[in-house]
Amino acid sequence: MFKKIFFILLTLAVGAVPLYGAEFPTKEVQIIIPWAAGGATDLIFRALAATTGKYLGKAVVVVNRPGGAGAVGYTEGMQAKPDGYILTAAVTPLTIVPHQVKTAFTYNNFAPILNVVDDPSMFLVRSDAPWKSLKEFLDYARKNPDMITVGNSGAGGGVHLVALAFERAAGVKFNHIPFAGGGPSITAILGGHVNAVSVSPPEGISQVQAGKLKIIALFANKRLEMFPDVPTVKEQGVDFAMGMWRGLVTPQGTPPEVIKKLHDAFKKGMEDPVLIKNAKDMAVNLSYVGPEDFGKLMAHDHDFYGKLVSEIKK
Amino acid sequence: MKRDETTVGIVILIFGGVTTLLSLRMPIGTFRAAGTGLFPLLLGIILMILSGFFLLNLLLRKEKELEKKEAPVEAAPRSLKPVILFLGMMALAALFFNSLGYPLVAFLLMVALLKILGLKRWPVNIILSLATAAASYFLFVQWLKIPLPKGWLGI
Amino acid sequence: MFESLQGLMNGFGIATTAQNLFYCLMGAIVGTLVGVLPGLGPIAGIALLIPATYGLNATSAIIMLAGIYYGAMYGGSTTSILLNVPGETASVITCIDGYQMAQKGRAGPALAMCAIGSFVAGTIGIFGLVFLAPPLAEAALAFGPPEYFSLMAFGFIVLSNVTGTSLIKSLMMAVVGLIIGTIGLDPVAGDARFAFDYAPLLGGIEFVAVAIGLFGIGEVLANVERPPEVLGQRVLVPRLRELFPTLQDLKRSIGAILRGTGIGFGVGLVPGPAPVIATYASYMTEKKVSKHPEEFGKGAIEGVAGPESANNSACQSAFIPLFVLGIPFAPPTAILLGALMIHGVTPGPMMIGQHPELFWGVIASMYIGNFVLLLLNLPFVPFFANILRIPKNILLPLVILFCITGMYTVNNSVFDIWMMLLFGALGFMMRKWAYEGAPLLLALVLGPKLEAAFRQSLMISHGNFGIFVNRPVSLVFLLGALIFLSAPLLKPVWRRAQGIRRKGG
Repeated sequence: MFKKIFFILLTLAVGAVPLYGAEFPTKEVQIIIPWAAGGATDLIFRALAATTGKYLGKAVVVVNRPGGAGAVGYTEGMQAKPDGYILTAAVTPLTIVPHQVKTAFTYNNFAPILNVVDDPSMFLVRSDAPWKSLKEFLDYARKNPDMITVGNSGAGGGVHLVALAFERAAGVKFNHIPFAGGGPSITAILGGHVNAVSVSPPEGISQVQAGKLKIIALFANKRLEMFPDVPTVKEQGVDFAMGMWRGLVTPQGTPPEVIKKLHDAFKKGMEDPVLIKNAKDMAVNLSYVGPEDFGKLMAHDHDFYGKLVSEIKK
Repeated sequence: MKRDETTVGIVILIFGGVTTLLSLRMPIGTFRAAGTGLFPLLLGIILMILSGFFLLNLLLRKEKELEKKEAPVEAAPRSLKPVILFLGMMALAALFFNSLGYPLVAFLLMVALLKILGLKRWPVNIILSLATAAASYFLFVQWLKIPLPKGWLGI
Repeated sequence: MFESLQGLMNGFGIATTAQNLFYCLMGAIVGTLVGVLPGLGPIAGIALLIPATYGLNATSAIIMLAGIYYGAMYGGSTTSILLNVPGETASVITCIDGYQMAQKGRAGPALAMCAIGSFVAGTIGIFGLVFLAPPLAEAALAFGPPEYFSLMAFGFIVLSNVTGTSLIKSLMMAVVGLIIGTIGLDPVAGDARFAFDYAPLLGGIEFVAVAIGLFGIGEVLANVERPPEVLGQRVLVPRLRELFPTLQDLKRSIGAILRGTGIGFGVGLVPGPAPVIATYASYMTEKKVSKHPEEFGKGAIEGVAGPESANNSACQSAFIPLFVLGIPFAPPTAILLGALMIHGVTPGPMMIGQHPELFWGVIASMYIGNFVLLLLNLPFVPFFANILRIPKNILLPLVILFCITGMYTVNNSVFDIWMMLLFGALGFMMRKWAYEGAPLLLALVLGPKLEAAFRQSLMISHGNFGIFVNRPVSLVFLLGALIFLSAPLLKPVWRRAQGIRRKGG
């Protein structure tokens, strides 16, 4: 008699598992953004969440967990259940922060789904700034080390590191002022409280379009589609280009079928014309990279930034 | 009353002291390049100064002055026991929140709290608790679609 | 200016289409519900409902989301007044006098005054928005790290002076709040502080947990202390007449409302948690200008009307930086920014030119939303006031359940619930020993920003403290702080001097 009950229960249990897996997703999927709302990562993923919902069959919702240059959000994302319902927006700082502070996570705690964006970084100054070109800017910096204040969206964060790496490539020293995100740093430069800011699109783009700010240094391999008159620093003699990738990951241990479903849905979301238009308006560069290659990219950058951080610290 | 005030003052002083000590363990840096511990260190020191001031003030005031400012005549006797029971029940609810699931915890908590506050008739208690738990479940989980833990019962 | 008026007229045309009115109403209702539940504030409400707006055109979507934002502000004050549970962060101040009024059977007038004050503030605010937006936005930009720091330092000192009776106790609470605010990650460098390697602490202690704990749970526990017979009593049943504000109430409040509107509008422009700061600022002002300051803390209607108006107008002016500069200054507006971008609108200096119908449509609908909320809320006042008629021994457990549920919805974290309980116990004890919770709360909110501003300023100035006094705006605030700090100390001296002069002459 007990044997019968046991077998029934066993069948139900076994039956329930594939039932659960086959039905993914049964509720909405969350994306953790480890930064405050309104920032670059936040905006592009909100747009992507909007278009992916219909391809996935369930809504995709964005949740902000700001703090510690991404540490808070990544820690939470790493500890989430690996069932595919809680994803995290993986941005270059994921491979940078673990080298700077003791974190509970590295990129290895996550399984890659796909990469979405690959954006160059840049320095913006006010349009009424005394420096009309990169050359003037760097000359001034060389003559006055540690005087030009460069705001960034968070100490140790992606764009801060870009600024530090640029210093080494150009042979100058800036005075880095951290702010709590892209929004506050743009506010600071508009108010004239810092001389320049280090950002990544779409931060600052609308102000450049309106003529209030201008791009004084573009750290890309080729010019931006939206501003074809702005030369890259490479063209002007400084061999430097660094950007920020933004993709999606899920905690290590998520079943492969679930990852595949998520990947396919988000890829379709990326190819949706509404998203393409949104990205264009934000001057954001969509750049799809599949899971294995994305994993390799993260591994490569982890090593790259490890070396860079230890060199800068010296 | 004065003794209570002094005790509280001392507790705050200790809090400030602990903060200061813990902050010293972190990099302090300079004002130009502040370390992580600088701000809490300053705060800890300020708190110790303030509470020191406070305690000094208490000691210097005359006993009579304090007596006059005593609490007004008590309207009804107060007892701490229900407060502790209340906190205890809420702690249990927090402990079992995830394992038992929201509706069940809501129900049990209501039953317990109503009983502590003197609702003696069980039928009324159970019905009220059931109604509340069910209503909040439907409102929050079903209608507003807010994620609340599903426990044991699967709801 | 004429174009602005014309734009506004067009906007009203758009906003009053049946479709948009419907969305506005929907947003307002959902917002009110969301606001009433402690913890679930406008951020959660807006974020939750963004998916629902995908199918709508940009203007309608934004109208609905803005409606939620407002509704939440209105709803938050309801639970503050009735249950001493702040519905969301900006309603904390309303708890102070609003709850006291409710205890005296005057919940109706308190609730009504909130609605009326908010409506008036909203109306005036709209005009401010329309005519003053661009210059105000520029003014907001003038606030850099040093000004920020001085403003907040000023705020702390004045606040500690105003609540409760003992300056030093309030100051201590403020510093304790600042210390609690340091738990988690360093706002500038990102290193962990006081987290003891315990993951939930990395994000710091959730403000909502402290607010609901100190005020809501603390109050419940204070009530629970009394014997069952007292709890079984019902609050005095108010008659219909008493549910609405008297003429005297209105007379006393009108000044508070106008001042609150002005203060809120100004403060809302500054980056950061502006509505909260605005409510504190208004409360401080009202207490200072009132002819009966001793009533504050015991049920002074100005203490409710002023802050609520400030809250509403701060929400309005928070839209200015968003629409004019394209920069969100607070999380709710940041989410709105996201929603705008998803719908293909890039807020920024060009937005008004590129999408005038959106801008004016939203402005007009904000006004209509205010009106709708007034109509929604006033009739409900008797209903809400009657909630207090539930005997306390049933009401209190309901409140507890309410708080726990609401708390959980913020971060899906049981740890937050524990924090809430901890601060509930603390709030209970603070009540016994006459320590104020308001300074602690404000300090918790502002602490990290205060520290960031402090450190940023010093980084810019290379360690030179002069940066705080070399800039005029910053200097003004610091001097103000100094004056308020020394006032209580100087008062007895001043009085003595007065006395001597009288005797002598």
